[in-house]
Amino acid sequence: MDNFDIPLASRAYSSTDLAKLQIFEKILKGNVEGIIITDTHGNIEWVNNTFSLLTGHAKAEAQGKHLGFLFSGEQDIYESLCPKLNEVNHHEVETRMRRKDGDEFPVELTLSAVRGDADMITHHVLEFSDITELCHAREELTQRTRELSRSNQELEQFAYVASHDLQEPLRMIASYTQLIAQRYRGKLDADADEFIGYAVDGATRMQAIINDLLKLSRVGTHNTVFTRVNAQAALDRALANLRLVIEESGASIVCDPLPSLNADESQLTQLFQNLIGNALKFRGSSSPCIQIGAEHQGEAWVFHVRDNGIGIAPEYSERIFLMFQRLHGKKEYPGTGIGLTICKKIIEHHGGRIWVESEQGKGSTFYFAIPTTLH
Amino acid sequence: MNMDPLGRPADFLLVEDNPGDVRLTQEALKNHKVQNNLHVVTDGEEAMDFLRRQGKHKNAPRPDIILLDLNLPRKDGREVLAEIKSDPDLKTIPVVIITSSEAEQDIVKSYNLNANCYVTKPVDLDQFIKVVQSINDFWLTIVKLPSAPR
Repeated sequence: MDNFDIPLASRAYSSTDLAKLQIFEKILKGNVEGIIITDTHGNIEWVNNTFSLLTGHAKAEAQGKHLGFLFSGEQDIYESLCPKLNEVNHHEVETRMRRKDGDEFPVELTLSAVRGDADMITHHVLEFSDITELCHAREELTQRTRELSRSNQELEQFAYVASHDLQEPLRMIASYTQLIAQRYRGKLDADADEFIGYAVDGATRMQAIINDLLKLSRVGTHNTVFTRVNAQAALDRALANLRLVIEESGASIVCDPLPSLNADESQLTQLFQNLIGNALKFRGSSSPCIQIGAEHQGEAWVFHVRDNGIGIAPEYSERIFLMFQRLHGKKEYPGTGIGLTICKKIIEHHGGRIWVESEQGKGSTFYFAIPTTLH
Repeated sequence: MNMDPLGRPADFLLVEDNPGDVRLTQEALKNHKVQNNLHVVTDGEEAMDFLRRQGKHKNAPRPDIILLDLNLPRKDGREVLAEIKSDPDLKTIPVVIITSSEAEQDIVKSYNLNANCYVTKPVDLDQFIKVVQSINDFWLTIVKLPSAPR
């Protein structure tokens, strides 16, 4: 039934073969779409049952009339589409039709020409289906998308404002606890020193968290700019930012040549910096060896950052990308639990994917793929 | 040891409404090698009164350097900066914007208004002290500034 060519079938309408005609009429009658067959002037000659079901007009009421009464007056779809049928065989439009009770409903309408001898147009066929539900669903989708993007924007804005505005009072707390520590440590009693220690530590950690939250929210609010970026340059910048830690850890860093690709340069730098920073932080007992490379796979560049560190048990390989998820005590490995969340957000912004392959005690390899189709 | 290129203590004008930051700046300048007088005003109106020697600031000295926060009550730091830089008597005084804003638009706007430099307040105390002392060293011992117009 799906592949049934209605205009072709309608040709039988003008056929003289009565038996053929009856078969086709049967098929057309029960078709899920409303069907109207008119002469070349738009006078209705035949309608199917679905037509009556959808419009409320009985077959007898419609036959013989010009089909103009089925459409709302503003714009005569039929008149405007008919001339075009000489060029193409059928037209599809979305429009509104009028029911017998005066109500209008949205339809998807296909207008086709039936050609007879010498390729002359003998009839027009209009197939239509009621798309009220489709329209509602579409509207709802648009509405929801709009709401979702607004609430997302608000959330991002909130995260940015909150972290930015919290920085100010926090700077006061941190500065003055540091000042107290510098000036009075060892001059009060042992309790005081301990309390000061906790206060300084708490303020310092909160600063780190707020800074990371700011970085995270900037990945969203600050317009991401995709330009042609030399990944090597981004990596070099990340390594320069990490220079102190690299020197202190005695790490050896090996890097394959990296490609140029479309990406946000500062975000790519941040990505390398977080991944290499982690590789340095979660080092094992031997001095860290970090290897960085990229491979072209299908429609993406797949980068990797490989280390010989403590590794991650496979059951945690998803969880580590979630906000505030930490696998270690703050004493062993300090951190905010936001670094990999930032990486994930950056990569998602680039339409890519980030994942880890690792075995506990045997090092980790972080992969991230950036599509080459990015503009 | 006289490290004082001006031959007198330098006059700082700090325009800052947060008493915590005022105190930190005082701490940073305390015991620094360059002797200085730190004058503090807490809003933009008062800053202009000080610079134009009006009202209670009739006897104010002409500052050698101005440390200006951007977000101030009454008259905003940006307006103060615009007024200083369009006043022939005041425009040669170096103005250092020292603020917590890292917004690109604030940075661009400040330089467009001829700020002499733009510094974000470091979050860390030691860094903060270092920044204030560097500003002091650079603007008061390294650079050559014109004397006040007569």
